[in-house]
Amino acid sequence: MPYPEQMVAPMRAELVSAGVRELRTPADVEAWFAQTQGTALLLVNSVCGCAAGSARPAVKLALENEQRPARVATVFAGQDLEATARARELIGDVPPSSPSIAMFKDGQLVHFVPRHLIEGQSAEVVAVELIDAFAQYC
Amino acid sequence: MGTFHDDKGPLHGITVFAREGDTVYVGRCDTLTATHLVLHDADIHVEGQDGRSNDEYLQRAARFGIWKKHETLVVAAGGLGPVQPLGDRVRGGGKAAPAATPTAEATAPAVPKPAADDALVTLTAGAVAEVRRLLLAEPGPGRGLRLGVAGGGCSGLTYKVEFDARRDGDLVVPQEGFEVYLDRKSAIYLRGVTLDHEPGLASRGFQFRNPNATNTCGCGESFAV
Repeated sequence: MPYPEQMVAPMRAELVSAGVRELRTPADVEAWFAQTQGTALLLVNSVCGCAAGSARPAVKLALENEQRPARVATVFAGQDLEATARARELIGDVPPSSPSIAMFKDGQLVHFVPRHLIEGQSAEVVAVELIDAFAQYC
Repeated sequence: MGTFHDDKGPLHGITVFAREGDTVYVGRCDTLTATHLVLHDADIHVEGQDGRSNDEYLQRAARFGIWKKHETLVVAAGGLGPVQPLGDRVRGGGKAAPAATPTAEATAPAVPKPAADDALVTLTAGAVAEVRRLLLAEPGPGRGLRLGVAGGGCSGLTYKVEFDARRDGDLVVPQEGFEVYLDRKSAIYLRGVTLDHEPGLASRGFQFRNPNATNTCGCGESFAV
């Protein structure tokens, strides 16, 4: 059951303020995935503090890097249910987990950070690994 | 980094794997004792299943995660090997949590422990301020804060927080500027609970501290009594 919108608003704002585009509907998701040229990163956000509490600041930290994906977006698992379900269909053949981070190049999934590689890690550790992926693909 | 509950052991809430003979179990660790391992969102792989060895299965699971086949899986600990974080298969170390072997652990009583004279629920100053701010942002007639519990989550019960009007039979806890409503069933589980609000970058938001909980999910959204 989704949390009241007011309660998750700060978690959305944390990403939006860093230039991350929110995909709130399946149509938003489809339009974002329809553009396949270049590099893109999608964060599947979550209210879960133990992993998303690191994932959000990790993405923000990583996006401060000069080499970074051209497009960055997020869907909110547990909140924007239809958008998240559509995104999971389009991400590729990986099990659903939230939070998770998917990186694409020319429409292909090239890097995926599932929840279990975020849980228990600091934002800095996750960010460094994202920056490594940026260096490889951007 | 203090992510998980210290009293639940280093693997609580962490996605782990463990081998037993030709079988591998993968899932989010809830409980590890001398007698059993409880996993949530779990999968089982047997050597050769789907044409893959256990190592091949684990390699892919560590990279991408697992397709869960079991909401909850209870495995007898007798023949289990070490229980290890799945992330270690990628990172190669136990940075987040070390491997563990089944060990003796006190079994908490599976009943709520409310005291009759305890405050029903307590809101910290931070929680009161945040609720008032949210209510001011979207005022409505008779709106208060409803706290409750529902079945679900990886520890059996999940907290519910919503803005709602008072209903017949509700227990009411007055606060400065608003009221907190609990239905009587939820009150059994929530008596003595403190609701806090944690602002800041990590944005954990509202957090329950529940003295009745014998087990709490790593993220704090789910608990058991």
